[in-house]
Amino acid sequence: MIQFTGARRFQAALILSIVLLAALCILHISVGTVQLTPAQVIASLLNRPVEPYDRIIVWDLRLPRTLIALASGAMLGLSGAILQFIMRNPLAEPDMTGATSGAVLGAVLWLASASGGTGDPGVLVPWVALLGGLVAGIAIYAASGGPAGGPTRLIMTGLLISIMLRSVTSMVLVIQQQAVGSAIGWLIGSLNGRVWVHWDILWPWAAVTIPLGLMSARWANALQLGDMTVKGLGVPLGRARAWLFFVAIALTAGAVAIVGGIAFLGLIVPHIARRIVGVDARRVFPLSVVLGAALMVLADIIAQTAIHTVTLPVGAVLAIFGAPFFLYLVQRSRA
Amino acid sequence: MTHQEAHQPEKQLALEADELSLSYGGYPIVEGLSLSIEVASVTALVGPNGSGKSTVLKGLARMLPPHRGAVYLDGHVITQMPTREVAQRLAILPQGPRAPEEITVGELVEQGRYPHVGPFRMLEKRDHAAIEYALEQTQLSALRNRPLDSLSGGERQRAWIALALAQEAPLLLLDEPTTFLDVAHQLEILALIRELNRAQGMTFVLVLHDLNQAARYADRMIAMHAGRIVADGAPSEVLSERLLEDVFHVRAHIMTHPVDGTPVCLPYEAI
Repeated sequence: MIQFTGARRFQAALILSIVLLAALCILHISVGTVQLTPAQVIASLLNRPVEPYDRIIVWDLRLPRTLIALASGAMLGLSGAILQFIMRNPLAEPDMTGATSGAVLGAVLWLASASGGTGDPGVLVPWVALLGGLVAGIAIYAASGGPAGGPTRLIMTGLLISIMLRSVTSMVLVIQQQAVGSAIGWLIGSLNGRVWVHWDILWPWAAVTIPLGLMSARWANALQLGDMTVKGLGVPLGRARAWLFFVAIALTAGAVAIVGGIAFLGLIVPHIARRIVGVDARRVFPLSVVLGAALMVLADIIAQTAIHTVTLPVGAVLAIFGAPFFLYLVQRSRA
Repeated sequence: MTHQEAHQPEKQLALEADELSLSYGGYPIVEGLSLSIEVASVTALVGPNGSGKSTVLKGLARMLPPHRGAVYLDGHVITQMPTREVAQRLAILPQGPRAPEEITVGELVEQGRYPHVGPFRMLEKRDHAAIEYALEQTQLSALRNRPLDSLSGGERQRAWIALALAQEAPLLLLDEPTTFLDVAHQLEILALIRELNRAQGMTFVLVLHDLNQAARYADRMIAMHAGRIVADGAPSEVLSERLLEDVFHVRAHIMTHPVDGTPVCLPYEAI
C-alpha cells in the first residue's frame, strides 16, 4: 500500500459531509407550511407513508426542490473550485465566467419579451438562460485572447463583461417594468416554485458536467504551477485551461438556468474544501461537490424558515452570509 | 538535409541546436546559434545579464518556438514531437518556479509523473517508485508531507529538482538552480547534480551565474555574449583573463583551485 498524506483525512471528510448532506436533505424536505418529522419524511421517501397526504407533499412538492438545491449547489461548488485552480486565484468564483450574468440576462430578456405578448413563458426560461450563459462564457473566453491570454486577462475580461451584462439586464427591466416581478427570483437566485419540470432539465446536465469536472482534476493540479513548469511537464497549457474554463461555464450556466444568479456559494465552498483537504484537486473537487450541495440545501432551509410568513430567495440568504465570509477572507489574506 | 528528417548523430548527442534564432517579446535575442550537448555531460551556460543564456535554455526546452533553425532532441525536431513525449526525455526547471503555498512536497513531486500518466490515468506502481526515487535522491523522503512554504530555500530547491527527477527524463535543463541560496545550499545542489550525472549518466545543461562554480562542476562551459557563443570548451580553456575582460567587463586573475585543480577567477576591478 502506498501512503498518501491526508488520504484518510479526505475519506473521513467526504463521508462526513455526505452524511451531513443526507441529514440536511431530510430536514429540507420536512420544513414547510406543513411540518413533517424526519421519520415521516423517510417513510414517505421509502413509499411507506403514514398518511397518503404526506406522500403527496414529499414527492410532488418538496423532493424536486431538494434535488434541485442539491444538484445546483454541487455544480456551483465545483465550478468555483475549478475556477480558483485555473485562475490561480482564491477569490475566483463562477460569476467570473460571465455564465451567471449571461444566463440571468437570457432569462430576463425572455420574461420581458414574453410579458408583452401572450402565453406562459415559464418552461422555456431555463433553456434561454442556459443558452445566454454559454454564449456569454464563450464570448468572454474569446475576448480574453483565447489560449494566448493568461489567467489575469481572463479574470479582468470576465469581470468587465459581467458588469456590462448586468447593466443590460437592469435596462431591460427598467423598460419592461411589468417583468420585474417574475424576474426578481432570477436576479438573486431562488428555489421557489421549482418542480419536477425543472429537475428534468437539470439532472442530465449535472450528470454530464459534474463527472467532466471531476475527471479534469490532474490538469487543474498542473495549472496551479507556473506556466513554464506546466509546459515543461508536457501539459497542453492553452488547451487544458480552455477545457477547464468551458467545464466551469457549463456547470455554472446549467445551475443558474434553473435557480438564477446565486452568488458567493462558488466562492466559499472551495475555500472550506481546501481548508480541510489541502490543494490537491482530486480531493478538493469531490469535496466541493458535496459541500456545495450541502450549503445550498442548508441555505434553503434557512430561506424557508427564517421569516414565518414568507419564503426568502435562497440567493439572498447566501449573499447575507457569503459577503461577511468574503470580507473575512480578504482580511485574512492581507495578514 | 532537411530539418524534418531525423538527424543521424555521429557522437551520442542528447540535444542539438541548428542555426537557432529566438526572439523574446518581439525582440530578436539569439541569431543563428548552433550547439550540441553530448549524452552524460554537464554543460554550464554562462554570460553577463542579458547575454541570452536563459533564452537559449528556453529555446532548447521548446518553451520558445524558434523563428529560424531547429532544436533536435535525440535526433528529432523537438517542436514536432508530442509535448508529453518530449517531457519524458527532457525536464526543465525554470528560474523562480511557482506553486501554491500549501502544496506538500509529495504533491509537488507527484506532478512530475504527468508525462507518463497523462491527464486521466491513475498512478501505478512504477509511478510511485519514481516519486520515491526522486525524494530519496534529493533527501526529502522525511519531508514529503510538509508544505513547500515551510521548507528552507535549499530544501525547496531540492523539491523542485525532485519534481524534475520524477519525470525520469535523462536530460535536465536548469535555469540558475543556485540563485538565492546560501553558499552551503548552492554547493549541495551542484554536488547533487554532479552525483546524478556520474552515477546515473544523466545529462545536464545549467545556466549559472557563478563562474567558479560553473568551472568546478561542469565538464564544459559555454560563454555567451549578446546572443552569441563567444567561448566553448573545457572550463580551463574557457575561463581566461581575456574572456572576463571582453565578456564580463572585469579584470581578474585566473588561478587554480587548491583543492581540486579547477580554474578559479578572482575579479578585482570593473572596466
